[in-house]
Amino acid sequence: MPQRDTVFKITMLLPLIILTSYFLLLVGSQSAFFSLSGFIEQLSQSDIRSAITLSLVAATLSSGVAVGVAIPSAYALARFDFPCKRLVDTFIDLPMVLTPIALGTLILMSWNTAIGRTLSSIGLTLPFTLAGVILAQFTVVVAISVRMLKATFEQVNPRQEQVARLLGCSAFGGFIHVTLPLAKRGILAAIILTWARAVGEFGATVMVAGTAKGQTATLPSSIYLAMSVADLPRAVTLVVILIGISLLVLFGVRMVLERNR
Amino acid sequence: MIRIDKLIAQRGDFSLGPIDLDLGNSSYLTVLGPSGSGKTLFLETCMGLIAPKSGRVWLDGQDVTRIAPEQRHISYLPQDLALFPHLDVRENILFGAKRRQLDKDLTGSRLVSLLDLLDLHGIIDRKEVGTLSGGEKQRVALARALLPKPRLLFLDEPFSALDAKIKRQLQIKLREINQQLGVTILHVTHDQEEAFMLGEQMAVMIRGQLRQLGARDDIYYRPATLDVARFLRNQNIFDMTIEEVLPDGSLQLGQAIRLSAPGYAGAEKGQRLAAGIRSEEVVIIRPNKPIGPELQANLFEAAVSDILAFGGTHTLCVKLNGSDVTVDVELPNCAMRDLGYAIGDTLRVCLRKRSLWTLPRDNAAFKGGLDDPL
Repeated sequence: MPQRDTVFKITMLLPLIILTSYFLLLVGSQSAFFSLSGFIEQLSQSDIRSAITLSLVAATLSSGVAVGVAIPSAYALARFDFPCKRLVDTFIDLPMVLTPIALGTLILMSWNTAIGRTLSSIGLTLPFTLAGVILAQFTVVVAISVRMLKATFEQVNPRQEQVARLLGCSAFGGFIHVTLPLAKRGILAAIILTWARAVGEFGATVMVAGTAKGQTATLPSSIYLAMSVADLPRAVTLVVILIGISLLVLFGVRMVLERNR
Repeated sequence: MIRIDKLIAQRGDFSLGPIDLDLGNSSYLTVLGPSGSGKTLFLETCMGLIAPKSGRVWLDGQDVTRIAPEQRHISYLPQDLALFPHLDVRENILFGAKRRQLDKDLTGSRLVSLLDLLDLHGIIDRKEVGTLSGGEKQRVALARALLPKPRLLFLDEPFSALDAKIKRQLQIKLREINQQLGVTILHVTHDQEEAFMLGEQMAVMIRGQLRQLGARDDIYYRPATLDVARFLRNQNIFDMTIEEVLPDGSLQLGQAIRLSAPGYAGAEKGQRLAAGIRSEEVVIIRPNKPIGPELQANLFEAAVSDILAFGGTHTLCVKLNGSDVTVDVELPNCAMRDLGYAIGDTLRVCLRKRSLWTLPRDNAAFKGGLDDPL
């Protein structure tokens, strides 16, 4: 039996070791093209700083709106029964399975409808604007946010909400004083992961807002632009920045989850 | 205090009601029923967490059927207690008082008396409710429910996860709360011992309906329906026919055995019925001992066919001579030791007339026949 246990452990651990080595290889291979002086020099260029700023601002705004919309939507899906609930639940998942390029196409086409034209006429245009970047990122990340938060709210015991009601809370009061604090961990994780996904968004953003340097070029689209003209030092610098942000975020999620356990 | 008129509720395929109930101030009602009988749905509907399909709920003369749960002033202790893990013990207990913005001085003095009553002084400053023992959690949840001075306290199987000793302590505490604080309590449970120990009034709920409501002895000894009888572990139930209605109103019953039984309104010769007797009410007649007049009827020679040992009691399964009928006789262990029965022994048993209950077969009470499973 102990021998079988060892075989079992090796069977499970081996793929993990291979996977970790593969990721280390991916990240480590950048060192061949990376130098600190080159990194600092690239950072001093205004269009790179603009791409970083745009990525951070747009991701913060789009993920903020996405989580803001996702909290009530996810709660409704987790708690209420309503007509066509299964259909709505499935439909909301659409952005998760659709490629971001297709999503970007959908957004652009929707701007050719009466509603889109009306919005354009009042100045809300998408190509080469911050609004376009935010809308593209929002569309991609909102489904992830809803899915994560629905799972979070489903884990909150409805009895606790019912007891809160009977102790004097209104429905909103129960949500604020009991449900939200109990869902805090899941909400924080959803915010961080939604934000990280928004920072890394490329396909839909390029389709909707383009990649105008200093205007709508985010970190991922700047990497694409740099690689398309074989500017490796620039591409590597941007990749290193993205890796840094991603690791920080993943570390942050872990810290939040550990601290609130 | 609370009056319920023809209350009907629905959850999925399950229907509750119609239920009628009237509960006075400071009373303690236990609603006993098997799992899945609709007890929790009944409480949820009374509390306003689920809208009824029809019917009315009145609290202190006010129709609260369409009033929000938070305005009904009912406190609720669910099976899992639903303590708030993001709050410490004190914050949990004070939650209702804060939400209702109760007077701080009054809340403070009531808190002190509740801490005394529930022996909570040692744990009031604990930071994490998750680290409390099962009994401590129960007491904290009770204090949280009682602090806002509710009109009614609803308990939903609150002791099901506790060991026997702590369960008994808390049951006694609940009786004290009912008597000292005058809180009206509606307590649902599937635990028969608990229901009979606590309920000054009792109801039995089966398949979404209150089959019987009354004093505990009535429910224990005179079940109103066959499914109540079976649920309350009446082991000895016989399919009988009325052979004769005697001038004093009592009945002569026959079929597999012959029995003399108390009568009921509308009894007629030839009517089929179920008769039953609790196993602890069956009397063993000791040889050579004189017997009183009440033990002269329904006497049977019998033989022990099986002996089942339980914790504090034994059940003798005795086969009545000249029939296929087997009767369960419950004896405390000490009596069993004195009598020393073994399988195959013969004895005389009396199915005491006054301990027999009868249910006419054509009555709505006779649901599903003798073999209808609960």
